[in-house]
Order: sequence, then C-alpha cells, then structure tokens
Amino acid sequence: MHILPWDLTVIPSKFFLFAEAAQYTLQITFFGILVGLIIGLAAALGRLSTQQWLSSICRAYIFLIRGTPLLVQLFIVYYGLTSIVTIAPIPSAIIALGFHNGAYIAEIFRGSIQSIDIGQMEAARSLGMPKAKAMQRIILPQAFKRAVPPLGNQLIIALKDSSLASTIAVPELMLKGRQMGSSSFMYMEMFLIVGIWYLIMTSVLSFVMHRIEQRLKVSDRD
Amino acid sequence: MTVIEKAKKSEETILKIEHLVKRFGDLEVLKDINLEVKRGEVVVIIGASGSGKSTLLRCVNFLEKAQKGRIFINGKRVKQGEKQLNKVRQELGMVFQHFNLFPHMTVIQNVMEGMVQVKKIPHQKARLYASDLLDQVGLQEKADVYPAMLSGGQKQRVAIARALAMEPQIMLFDEPTSALDPELVGEVLSVMTDLAKKGMTMLVVTHEMWFAKEVADRVIFMDEGVILEEASPDVMFSSPKEERTMAFLKQVLPQQA
Repeated sequence: MHILPWDLTVIPSKFFLFAEAAQYTLQITFFGILVGLIIGLAAALGRLSTQQWLSSICRAYIFLIRGTPLLVQLFIVYYGLTSIVTIAPIPSAIIALGFHNGAYIAEIFRGSIQSIDIGQMEAARSLGMPKAKAMQRIILPQAFKRAVPPLGNQLIIALKDSSLASTIAVPELMLKGRQMGSSSFMYMEMFLIVGIWYLIMTSVLSFVMHRIEQRLKVSDRD
Repeated sequence: MTVIEKAKKSEETILKIEHLVKRFGDLEVLKDINLEVKRGEVVVIIGASGSGKSTLLRCVNFLEKAQKGRIFINGKRVKQGEKQLNKVRQELGMVFQHFNLFPHMTVIQNVMEGMVQVKKIPHQKARLYASDLLDQVGLQEKADVYPAMLSGGQKQRVAIARALAMEPQIMLFDEPTSALDPELVGEVLSVMTDLAKKGMTMLVVTHEMWFAKEVADRVIFMDEGVILEEASPDVMFSSPKEERTMAFLKQVLPQQA
C-alpha cells in the first residue's frame, strides 16, 4: 500500500542506471563550455577592438545567439546543416552549446575587461608596451579573476541547458529519463532520479567554483 | 637660486612642444602651447584644476592625442603610429596621481615588467636592476609583497622605480602626491628631489609649492589652456607679473603674499 501514487522506493535501485547518461551530460557540458570559453574570449576582444568591421561581426554574433533559443541553434546544427555536412549528435551538441555559451561568455569577459581601471592600460602603455601585450600581461589576468563568479554561474546554466541535447538523440540524462520512463511507465520516479543527478552535479560545481573564488581572493587583493 | 646642488644642465633642448592644441569635444583644453625643456631641467607646472596642466603632460606621452601641434624629443619630431609611440614612450617615464601599479604582480615584478616585456632584458639582469632601483627609493625590503600591502607613499615610490626602470630621458609626474595622505607626501617628494639632484629632466604637475620653490629650475603657470607666465621660482613666487598668477598664488600660499 502506498500513500503516494508513485513507487519512490525504486529510486535507489534505479539511480545508478543513469551513471553513463550523466557522463554524457558532463562530457557535452565540459566540451561545450571549453569551446564557449575560446569563442567567448575571441568575441569579447573582437567586440572591444577598434577595428570597426571586427567589432560589428562580434556584436552581430552575440545578438543572433542571445536572441534565439538554444533549441533552435541545436536543430540548425544537427538538422539544418545536413544538406552540407552531417554531424553526429554529440559533436552537434558540443558545437551548439559552444556557440551558445560563447555569446554569454563574451559578454562576461567584455564586462570584466571594461571593469579594469583605465589607469592600468595607461600605465602599461606608458612603459612602451604595445596594446596587445598590455592586454595579455596586465588587463586579462585581472579581468579573468573578476570573471570567475559569473563564469561559474554560466557553467551551471550550461550543465542544465545540456538537457536539450536529448532532442537530437544524445544519450544524456534527460533522454535516459524519457526512455526509462516510457519503458516502465514510472515517469515521476525516473524524472526525479534525473533531477537528483542534476542537483548533485550542480552542487559539486558550485562548491568547486566557490573554492576557486576563495583561493583567488587570498592570493591577491586589489 | 635653488638650494639644491644639481648636476650641470646642458643647453641642449630635450623636449620641444610647438603649437599644441587639444580639444575634448567643443572644449579647448590646450590652446596653442609652446614649451621647451633643456636636458637636466626641472620644470614645475602649476595652475588651478581644469587649467590643462595634466592634459599637457598626457599629450607629451601621447596618452591623449592632440589635434594640432608638434612634439620634438631630442630634436626629432614624434610622429603618430603605434611603433613610433611605443619607442618614444620608453624615453618618457610617467608617474600617475593614482599610482596605477599592477595589483596582480609583486613590487619587484612591477618594476621588472617593462624591462622584461618591452626592453627584452633577461630576467636575471632585470631583477638585479629592479632591486637596485627599489633600494634607491628605499623599498628593497618590500620587493616581494603585493601593492595592496603598501601605503600610498610606498606605492608611489614603487611607481617611480617602475618608470625609472625603462631608463627614460624625461620623467613626467602627474600630480604625484595629490592622492596621498599629508604625512606621506614628504617621502615621495624626497625621492623626486634626489632624482632632480642626479640630473634627471623632469616635468612635474603639482600643487606642492614647496617642491616648486626648492627644486624647480622653472615654474610655469597655466590658466585656461594657455601658459600665462613662466619664470624662475624666485621670481614666480615673489613677483609674478600676471594678475591671475597672483590670485592663484595667494590662494595656495595663504600665509605669504
């Protein structure tokens, strides 16, 4: 006899059947963010460039990505591009997540670069440093530090957003939940398991980001 | 006569500014500035805030781009263009009101940064020279701490050492003591006085009239974007010609006049 219409006791026994799916979730999130960091840094520097054409291209990229849903971007990469090139589900997810997060990360970097006092650039230039070198040696190390908290936030958003990859057949957590649900008709139980997996992973990420922030605070106060 | 014994000044012009005009939008901040500085000379620029004195200094270093005018260093005209400016800036040490030390580097790394990254001096050699410079400004024991751990006066002395590390021909000081607590002004001025004694060419924007009186070879009074008056400190402080100069000096030197 159950008080609830669901059999929650299956949760512990079925829980670890999702481990492999969780690995896929982590994998596309990790590589998606990695691609996003590279694109984001490039787009941030491009947007801040005095070269008008470069700045415009980067602005357009950020505008298009932030103005459209990730699901649309995923479908464009996976289905839309098939007439030119067929990309497997996992690479498709990584590409879409990378470009999607790249736009947000670009804005994070741009904000943190612009938050560095103008006097830092002036001091570097007054030593005769070229602009690019001043950026690399003086501005970016300080800007990265300030970018860590919002980047941690973006990482957690990316992890949860990766669930959309279930729609293009990436065997990650969300897809696993749907499959397990429809084969057992225990939808509530399976999606609760999925939710718990996400919660554990986001908690670990928050904790790690918090530790990184603490460490950066100690090594240098400005 | 200044009370400071100084290295002999040559008659050689090291810096020459011709017809410099700087506008911020519609506001003309510098109106046809002409100025010559001899090697080894200490020129102090005084004037009310907004008179254009900091802008003038920043134009010399091309941190601000003037709309008109020419600047010559050692008789050679400074042309626009990244490469040229990066070269010229090495000849011009700049000290800022707010120090602008690099907070993510230790004191000695701050001093070494220009030597290693711009002049390509080997690390080991740069460290030795930086250590020597820190000794000169009395901060050798602070070599390995971060700027956040220093007082304002110490920060500014590090900033001076950082600028000197490039072995500049001219040092530009943009209100170097204005952001300091009163009790910390002395240590910075004394480092600057030492520099002047060693024969460094200096262009100093300051409100420290003591420094102007004792160390300057020439004092320039700027008002509304023009050089209204220039004279030796004795003449400037005892018998200024212009009414505006008198009014300004009366304000900054209340007990005299």
